[in-house]
Formats: sequence, C-alpha cells, structure tokens
Amino acid sequence: MSGYTEGIIILLCINAIAAMGVSLLTGFTGIFSLGHAAYMALGAYTTAILTVQHGVHWFPAIMCGGIMAVAVAFFIGVPTLKLMGDYYAIASIGLGEAIRLILENWQSVTRGARGYPGIDPYTTLPVAAAFFVVLAICMFNLINSRFGRACKACRDDYIASSLLGFHTARIRVISLMISAFYCGVAGALLGGFLSFIQPVMFDMLKSTELTAVVVFGGLGSMSGSLLGTAVITLVTELFRPISQYRMLIYGAVLVVIMVLRPEGIMGNREFLSWVKAPFRRRAG
Amino acid sequence: MATLIQQVINGLSLGSVYALIAVGYSLVYSILLFSNFAHGGFLVIGGYICYGTLRTFGTGIWLSGAIALAGAGVAAVLTERLAYRPIRERTNVTLYLLIASMGMSIVIENIFVIVAGGRFRALPPVIPTAPVNLMGLATTSAFDLLSLVSAVVFLGALQLFLSKTRWGLAIRAAAYDLRTAGLMGVNVNLLISIVFFVAGALAAVGGIFLSVRYTLYPQLGAITIKAFVAAVIGGLGSLPGAVVGSLILGLAEMLTAGFISSQMRDLVVFSMLVITLLVKPTGLFGKSVSEKV
Repeated sequence: MSGYTEGIIILLCINAIAAMGVSLLTGFTGIFSLGHAAYMALGAYTTAILTVQHGVHWFPAIMCGGIMAVAVAFFIGVPTLKLMGDYYAIASIGLGEAIRLILENWQSVTRGARGYPGIDPYTTLPVAAAFFVVLAICMFNLINSRFGRACKACRDDYIASSLLGFHTARIRVISLMISAFYCGVAGALLGGFLSFIQPVMFDMLKSTELTAVVVFGGLGSMSGSLLGTAVITLVTELFRPISQYRMLIYGAVLVVIMVLRPEGIMGNREFLSWVKAPFRRRAG
Repeated sequence: MATLIQQVINGLSLGSVYALIAVGYSLVYSILLFSNFAHGGFLVIGGYICYGTLRTFGTGIWLSGAIALAGAGVAAVLTERLAYRPIRERTNVTLYLLIASMGMSIVIENIFVIVAGGRFRALPPVIPTAPVNLMGLATTSAFDLLSLVSAVVFLGALQLFLSKTRWGLAIRAAAYDLRTAGLMGVNVNLLISIVFFVAGALAAVGGIFLSVRYTLYPQLGAITIKAFVAAVIGGLGSLPGAVVGSLILGLAEMLTAGFISSQMRDLVVFSMLVITLLVKPTGLFGKSVSEKV
C-alpha cells in the first residue's frame, strides 16, 4: 500500500472517530455544537505535551488527552446544558475561540501560534484502525443501550422524557462528555499522524466541518455519520485543486440538506437495518 | 484617571456597536426561537456594500450608508425566504434552522472570500476619526462619539417603531407567541420578513462602524459571537437585555484591554458568559425560566 493511500485511510479513521463523537451529541441528543474542534485541540495538545516533554508512552497520553477534553466538557456542559435553547451552541463558539486563544498565547507550554513540532509519529495505520474499531464498537453498543435510548428520548421530547424519570440535564451533559472524549482521542491521533499541531488547525472551520459531516450523513444515524465522513474526506482529497470553494460547498450542503432532506443521506436508520429490511417479516 | 474615562468612552462606543448587532439577533430569536448564526453575514454584506458604493460611485457616506442598510436588509429577507421559510413551514425543530443558519453564514462569508478576496480593506475616510478633547478630562476620537450617537439614534428609532406602530405591536405580540399572533390575523410571513429586514439593516450599521474601527474582511462577521454573548448576558430574546449586555461587554473588553492586556479581552468575554450561565442563566432581563428541566 502506498504511503498516500495509507495516509488517507489513517485520516479517514481519525475523522470517523471525531464524527462519531459529534454524531452522538448532535444526531442522538439534539445539541448543536460549533466548537468541537476545541476538544480535538485539547486532546492533541495534552498528548503532545505529555509525550514530548514528559516522556509518557503514547497510549496513556492519548487517554489523558481524551480525559482532558471530558473535563473541559463537564465544566462547560453543566452550566449550559441545564437550559434548553441555544445556550450551548453559543457557549461552544466561545469555548472554541477561548481555547484557541489560550493555545496561541500560552507560549511557555504550547509554544504559541507557530505550532508544536516534533511529536512522535505514533499514529500508524494499525493504531488508527484499532482505535477506530474499538471506539466504533463501543459507540454502536452505546446508542442501542439504555443510555442511547435516553439520549433519543431527550432529543425528541425533553418534557415527556423528564416525566418518565430521565434526568435530562445529566443525560445531556454525559452525552457531551462522551462526545468530547471521542474528539479528544481523534485530536490526539491527528497530532501523532502529522507530528505537528498548530492552534489554527482547530479553528471554527474545523468545528463546522465536523458538524457538516454529521448533518450530511444523517442526524440520528451513526453509520450515516461514518458514510458522511468517508464521502466528505474522499471528495476533499479529490477536489484539492479547487480547495478555495470547499467551505462554500460545505455551507451550501448544510443549507440544502436542511431545506430538502433534513434527515441527511441515511435518515435516522442504521446501515444494518437497511440491509436486513427485505428479509424481515412485516408486522401484522 | 484620564485613561479610565477614555477607556470607558471607548467601551461604551464599542458596546453600542455590539448593541446594534445584538438587538437584531435578539429580535429574530424572540420571534423564531433560534440563534441566527447568519447574522454576522448581514453585517459583512452591509460593510462591503458601503465600501463598494463609496469606492466605485463615490457617493457620500449618507447615500452609501442608506444603500448598505437597504442591501443588508434585503439580503436578510432573502436568506429567510430561501433557507429558513421552507424549514419553518415543514417542521418546528429549531435545530434544523440553527444548522441552516450556520450554513448560510459560511456561504455568505465565502462568497466574499471568492468575489472580493480575503484582503483587509480600509473604508475611505468618510467618518471623522480626529481626536476630540472632552472638557479637558480626556481625549477621545470623534469616531467613538459618533458611533455612540448613531447607535442611540438607531436603537431609539427601533424602540419607536416597536412601541408606536401597528407592525411594532404585531412584532411584540409575535414575540409573545407567534402562533397566537398568526391566529389573530397577523400576516406571519410578512412580519418575519419585516423583522429580518430590520435585523439586517441594524447589523449593517454595526458592520459599517466595525469596518471603520477595524478593517473590512470576509471574516468580520465572526465578531457577532460577542453580540451573541451580550444577548445571553442580557437574557436571550430580550431587547433591553441585549443593549445592556452589549454595553457591559464593551466596557469589560475595553477596560481589560486598557488595564490588563489586550490579549485577555476575548477570554474575559467568554468567562463572563460562563459566569452568567452559572449564576443567572436567564441573563439580566431573561423572560422565562420555565424551560429549565
């Protein structure tokens, strides 16, 4: 396998991990985020600093990156997610900007806007693929568990679900924390893949891209998010020559999908249910 | 002392520009209950129309300003017609509107990146920026005073429109309950168009002042984050709240820049948001707590 193909597959795995995180939050819990790149940045920088400056092995360092993202998500989520409405969406933009500013200005720790070089290239294809497979299995089990159903209940009708005894605020915060973990790990893997990270890599465009992928794949469909990631990552590679139109296309895709088919490519169905459908006996 | 007075005037001037943006955003939020992230785009459209007419036709600032206001207002109405109305008519899931507005914001920004280029542009010197001495207490620029005065004029006009006219009454009714207002015979689609026009025009005023204060570039719309934060601090959906929140935010930002460090100002803005949400999540003038579950 050539290095280029391998690189694309690694990138695909990383993007898919992040997309699964955002999908849980936006697609299954119904919370819109514009700052998930900040969690990726937290994961990437925590891991980079631990491995380069403190000589920690990459695996615990990646876990620490994920946990760092979870801690920040908790701090942001508790005040904002207790409220319905757009509070988290606004706070998430602020969070994204604040994290980027801290990374750019805290020279002694993060080496500032010029970036953090010299990270061990620990993200090889087997590592990225293993992380992807394990996290995907966890996520697909999670969305069919009690917790996943609780998330969907909160998304569809938070009054009814709170009357049924779900602690909606807690479910929303936990969902955010899990999604932050996925993004933190994805960021950490990205750092190991590129050996170099820079605050500007995790700006609002990246956050938007994460959300665009999930919306494109289908809100409420985990396999749709993976499909969306695959399509968008490959299309981005193919259309590198016209990359100045990339953001315009992302924006237009978001609007057009919302206007024409808000459920995305897959709707809220999973790929397996689609395959199984012809073989299933009709009820009644 | 002189620095303090100067920073307070700067802060009020910046806050009043935020207020112009935040009020439009809050107005849309109060009717449709979603965060219109494309609001920053309206500001950029206003700024570029003003720049373009000043440069190509050499019209005066009054005419260019008026064209910019009308242009941004029409752009806002078109955005609503094309992107939001089809969604609004089919479902009441505000998440879809939110995502569509994010998409529109990216589309508008990148249209300007492609058409006008990502360069920073300075508006021709149409608004006086000469230093003014304030009764020997402090020196400030005429621009700061001018932007403060124009914000007061526009916000006053909005207040008159909302409290004295029939459409103002209808808008207040719709902010209370859009459905019931519709049942009472208000033409809801026309009303929403009017609201978007007003919001777009106010954003354009903010955009012109911001492009004089900083420069004009496609990403200038990102500054609306601060207007959103101001609207949350004042209470989402409340117009007086949006104004007060903006002034507080402008003051906090300028005082931080003047006395601590200008790199900290955005962090201060964000901490204020988190503190508000922790202490009084409905903001200073928030209207309902019933949503809390």
